[in-house]
Amino acid sequence: MSRQRSMEAILASEYVSIGELTRLTGARYSTLKFYTEEGMLPFEQAEENLTRRYFRESTVELISRIKQMKADGLSIPQIKNALKEKR
Amino acid sequence: MTELKLAESFAIVALNAQRSLELTMAKKVALRCMAAAVILELHLEDGLQNQTAQKRLKQDTTGGSAEGTYRTTVLVPLAGGKRKLNRELSWWLHRVSRLSTGKLVRFERSIAASLEERGLLEEIPHLLGCDLYFHSAGVSIKEYRSHASEYARITEHLRADVLEDGVMTDHSVCMLWLLRESGCMHDLFSRNELDQVTRKMVSLMQSQPLAKTLYPLWVRRGFEIAVKQILQFKKRAVSTQTGSGVNFLFPILERSQAIFIDTEAMLPGPGARLSDVLARLESKGHRVQVLSKGQVPILKIDNLVYEAIPHAVYGRVPIHGVRLLPKHPV
Repeated sequence: MSRQRSMEAILASEYVSIGELTRLTGARYSTLKFYTEEGMLPFEQAEENLTRRYFRESTVELISRIKQMKADGLSIPQIKNALKEKR
Repeated sequence: MTELKLAESFAIVALNAQRSLELTMAKKVALRCMAAAVILELHLEDGLQNQTAQKRLKQDTTGGSAEGTYRTTVLVPLAGGKRKLNRELSWWLHRVSRLSTGKLVRFERSIAASLEERGLLEEIPHLLGCDLYFHSAGVSIKEYRSHASEYARITEHLRADVLEDGVMTDHSVCMLWLLRESGCMHDLFSRNELDQVTRKMVSLMQSQPLAKTLYPLWVRRGFEIAVKQILQFKKRAVSTQTGSGVNFLFPILERSQAIFIDTEAMLPGPGARLSDVLARLESKGHRVQVLSKGQVPILKIDNLVYEAIPHAVYGRVPIHGVRLLPKHPV
């Protein structure tokens, strides 16, 4: 039986799934998927068909930074450049 | 951020935009599925047949449980009296499919009250009240509105769990079945995504033990199935070259409404049209977010997305305005 992790367990773990990221940040799944495909959210994946895992702390922080930049009026290419410069 | 149980999570999705005072067919189907979600919630917690589960069931059926009373309103009619409680999931779900309307209404009141208490659900004037005819006639209809961010968290988490590769949680397996049974699939998934969802459900049915037991079951009643079959026939009859449309699939289960909002001026520009629409919606207590502007703006009204298409109603004099058409999915 594969149980849904409680919020407490999610907040205590190092890695989270994209579904858990939607719960943590309130961002839409399609938005996070787009960010991932654009290379804005780094992830780990053991094999091609396995779940993508994200570092919880750094990814949540990254999403809130992207949200802030969007609110400041930056376009996606500009946000991508800003993130690249920071890395 | 609240930690919600399965029945509560599903209630937030299923009750959103449902009429709160009347028992529509869409709400009746949703309530039956919410009652099934209570059974599944117990099944996920302890299973239904081991000793701990039996003890918990007895507590719930006598109202002695610390958990919300909404469980009691479902379990007492199902397991009250001297009935043996040590039954399989399919027996419980079959019993749920036979719950009477009165019992479903009592269950609705208790779960809605528990969600309202925590600020996760509220009653607001129905969107239909903004329609030209309802607005001018002073008719008041109420609807439920789920907490916007909690609604988004539940639906987006489910979408991610279903559409991503990898293992799906039992919670999502149950939610998917509940959405199928309640006819809410179209609220969450686009037509293209629905193909993917179907493939996922078929593969789950072959490999996942809970899905194997659950997916062949259904909780709809005979009349509701008959309605669905009539509508499927209607869908075949009204299909056009451009498609059959979601409204032709399950119009009776449709919760979002196509409504007409009149504007103050004749032939107004897009800006004036939009501000008139926003003023009417906000005056009736709706939460509106403009997703895109232009000739046909896209608005998110109380968790559901609509297109505001310029339109005119012709009587003695033409009345200009916009028609809000539901746009699936969110």
